[in-house]
Amino acid sequence: MQAALEPFRLAHAQQQAFTVAEFLSPIPPPNNPARLYEFHRASNFQTVEQDIRNALRYGGYRLNQKESVAWPGILVSYWKAIHSLLRAEEARNQGTLGARDLVEVYDAWKELTNHFLRHTSNGALPPWTLVCMYRTANYLRIFAAQADAQLAKSKESVTFDSGLQDDIATPAPRSEKLEETARIFNRIFALCLNDRNPDMSQSRKWGTYYMANLQFKTYFKLKNVSLSKNIVRSINAQSDLPSFEAFPAAHRVTYNYYVGVLAFLQEDYNKAEEHLTEAWNLCLPESLGNQERILTYLIPTRLITAQTIPTPLLLSSYPRLQKIFGPLVTCIKRGDLHGFDTALAAAEDALVRRRIYLTLERGRDLTLRNLLRKVFLAAGYEELKEGQTERDRIRKSRIPLSWFAAALRMSSGAGGEGLNLEDEEIECLIANQIYKGMMKGYISREHSMVVLNKKGAFPGTGV
Amino acid sequence: MAWQPAAPAQHIPAYSAVPARTTLERPPLGSYAAALSRPSPTDPSQNPPPTAAAPRKVSWSDSVKSYVRRAFDPDNAMPDISAADMKIKLKEIISYHAERNLQDEVDWATHPLPQQIIAGEREAAARAALAAQPNSPAPAYGKSIGPTFSPGSKRKSLDADELQAAASVPPWRKANLESRVTFGDGQNKRQKKSDFTKETISKLNQLDLEKRKQRFQANQNDTTPPWRSDRDSDSEMSTAPVVGTNQSLEKSYFRLTSQPKPETVRPLHVLEKTLDLLRKKWRQEKNYNYICNQFKSLRQDLTVQHIKNAFTVRVYENHARIALEKGDLGEYNQCQTQLKALYGLGLGGHPGEFLAYRILYFVYTCNKTDMNDVLAELTPTDKALPEVKHALEVRSSLALGNYHKFFRLYLDAPNMGGYLMDMFVERERLNALSNISKAYHHVFVRFLTNELGFENDEECLQFLRDHGAQHLIEEKETDNGPKMRVRVKEAMALFDQLRAAAFSKVDLKGQI
Repeated sequence: MQAALEPFRLAHAQQQAFTVAEFLSPIPPPNNPARLYEFHRASNFQTVEQDIRNALRYGGYRLNQKESVAWPGILVSYWKAIHSLLRAEEARNQGTLGARDLVEVYDAWKELTNHFLRHTSNGALPPWTLVCMYRTANYLRIFAAQADAQLAKSKESVTFDSGLQDDIATPAPRSEKLEETARIFNRIFALCLNDRNPDMSQSRKWGTYYMANLQFKTYFKLKNVSLSKNIVRSINAQSDLPSFEAFPAAHRVTYNYYVGVLAFLQEDYNKAEEHLTEAWNLCLPESLGNQERILTYLIPTRLITAQTIPTPLLLSSYPRLQKIFGPLVTCIKRGDLHGFDTALAAAEDALVRRRIYLTLERGRDLTLRNLLRKVFLAAGYEELKEGQTERDRIRKSRIPLSWFAAALRMSSGAGGEGLNLEDEEIECLIANQIYKGMMKGYISREHSMVVLNKKGAFPGTGV
Repeated sequence: MAWQPAAPAQHIPAYSAVPARTTLERPPLGSYAAALSRPSPTDPSQNPPPTAAAPRKVSWSDSVKSYVRRAFDPDNAMPDISAADMKIKLKEIISYHAERNLQDEVDWATHPLPQQIIAGEREAAARAALAAQPNSPAPAYGKSIGPTFSPGSKRKSLDADELQAAASVPPWRKANLESRVTFGDGQNKRQKKSDFTKETISKLNQLDLEKRKQRFQANQNDTTPPWRSDRDSDSEMSTAPVVGTNQSLEKSYFRLTSQPKPETVRPLHVLEKTLDLLRKKWRQEKNYNYICNQFKSLRQDLTVQHIKNAFTVRVYENHARIALEKGDLGEYNQCQTQLKALYGLGLGGHPGEFLAYRILYFVYTCNKTDMNDVLAELTPTDKALPEVKHALEVRSSLALGNYHKFFRLYLDAPNMGGYLMDMFVERERLNALSNISKAYHHVFVRFLTNELGFENDEECLQFLRDHGAQHLIEEKETDNGPKMRVRVKEAMALFDQLRAAAFSKVDLKGQI
């Protein structure tokens, strides 16, 4: 056992938080895929407690009174977690993996997380172990999700009746392990956020954003997005946090991303744009996955706030985004209503899953704007008056409704859809463009004309 | 409007007689037959006052009198129990037995004296308090809980006759008794609280336990099968299905706070008749408060008996439709949630119809998150259903500001979709007006009537007047004679304001 713990001893003696966190990881390092097995083999279920206690006592560790209580508990629960993990892996290889195996892994890891939580909150562990605690917490989330997924397979999704309910069906707790995890995270989060240690170099406040991010991930997974708002609120209410810029970029990117997505879901697109842009700017150039995540929300946001669409060049770096946004973007640009509707319907599932369908749907306004603009451009110029030159001639600003109607009917599909468009509906769509400020002017019903603003009929498009 | 009975007063339903049912006696055979024939409350013969209300002169036997004498005997007085406390307890004991006509069943000569019982109670309470909460004042709950029994008193199960008799106590006693006896319906909060106290604090309190058992037995009658007789004697909540025995077609809704008694629950075949009756009544009387209450108890009876089949679906669908008709979206939403789960089990019904309502409902609540969830669950088959298609088109027309299409869809809503759309049509009219006022300088009223789905010009004008646009309506000479015209441009700010106000108050009763 002493040999197995040697990397831990060295790292601990030098207070290398990341190395200790790495040691307590459930994933073997790439250069030593057998590490977990070796560590596991160093003891057995009956004697592990004694083994680890002895190793720590006689291995030349420098542990103070409190630490010598904390570490054996942590290491023993880590060993037991690895024990369950390897058993589950074995079961998976034999094809007998059941919910019980994964729940066992989860429970064992929960034990480990709770050890960290307890010993951190009672001050038994030195401040640098904060990293180990939140890293451990991250794995708990993963194990919980795995256990829930397995449990869900073996259960009905809806249970019926429970005693005193007036109604028959109550939704089953589908993710009971992950919900428990969320509660544990909540405690760790509070432990970090509310640390009163005035010495910032030893403060647990540095874990705040990491834990907030873990909670976001958990709540999103639990489809309980609204709970995330509480976290943002409590962080904003805490006045003595170190400045946001002082936190590691990794924490900041994720935090900005989630705050941005939350704002997006609440249709606060300006705030969403601000945070998503910040996340985008901080994101490492090689983290394509994260960039893709950010863009998934930033593109629809920019569509609303700035009426801009991504360039083909930007999309080309992200095949998945290219697939869902590409056709839409092309149609918006061309002013192709029928194509837009078709592309939207084709991507509906993917878009709904990402919760961006209802936002992207509004891209139709932009498509329509581009179409109407084309009509306006095609209408040409007024006759040159005396004293006017080619340079300052004026575009025709009185355009018959029927011209727009023809364009709309063509663009909505020459088949059934387009021809079925009533004149009033076309008027209505144009009225909408004016209402939304995408087009300046008014409709004159007496003359069946659209009278456009002579200066800037389509704001922001150069005409 | 929902509170006004649609029918004349003599149609006030028989459910007002329900307090009599809380005695848990089986209704005499005639009473539900009478309920069927729907008696008018003005007829005294058909509207019997609760039997309990008839006062009865109680004559005390000699043994009781001597018991009282013994209690007041200074020799029996206890130093730490005041005479007042003792008197209260004594009164309690005697009235308890009198109410149940039990005074002859008790051996008064050996019955423990009130002061002895109090002493026992205090001791037990102290013990329990010590176990649960060392600092709490011990005798705090000695009094409030129910009739008193000494540990040694004989437990008796009462038969139906005795219960009948027990009901005949003076009303002022009865009210008091009711507050102390646990009913299956458990309708008052106080009761719930005292149950809670019991479960948490005095688990160890033998005396209380004994009293509980006594009370439950007092509530039982011979319709309880023997294998259930002990069901409630522990505080654990059983979730096993109840098998109902109640035969009444109507029953008022009470929120359950404990396992219901089989005799208060109606079995499936009765419930089926109930549903028919309720449907008929709804058609005839349109008394929503009554119907809603009845449907809630119907749903409750289904739940406690774990009945989930095509009939369950029918009940929820009927209730949902009635709630829709009356615009009670809170109740409707409850049904909708249940129906979603029930449809998931493939029990038949009309999933398409209600899926369409769900979509319209989320259009009304402007709940983008829920709407997204609904869209995520739609299958191609769902989307092909005409009513679902309609609802989806309603949604997208509003999302794109296509009010023209929206009001076409409004006039052409399948099933009861129109009722749901009624909930937000005014809001959308203001929205459209706000829109029109920016895009036009003036429009004819006829145009607004057509575009905003009004029945006729008059309705449209009324709407404008109601919203303070009276001064903008003018008459305009045209080639085809004079026509009404609205100078919408001047109302831009007005309509914008109204629109914003209409969208800000999506207020839902019963929504969580």
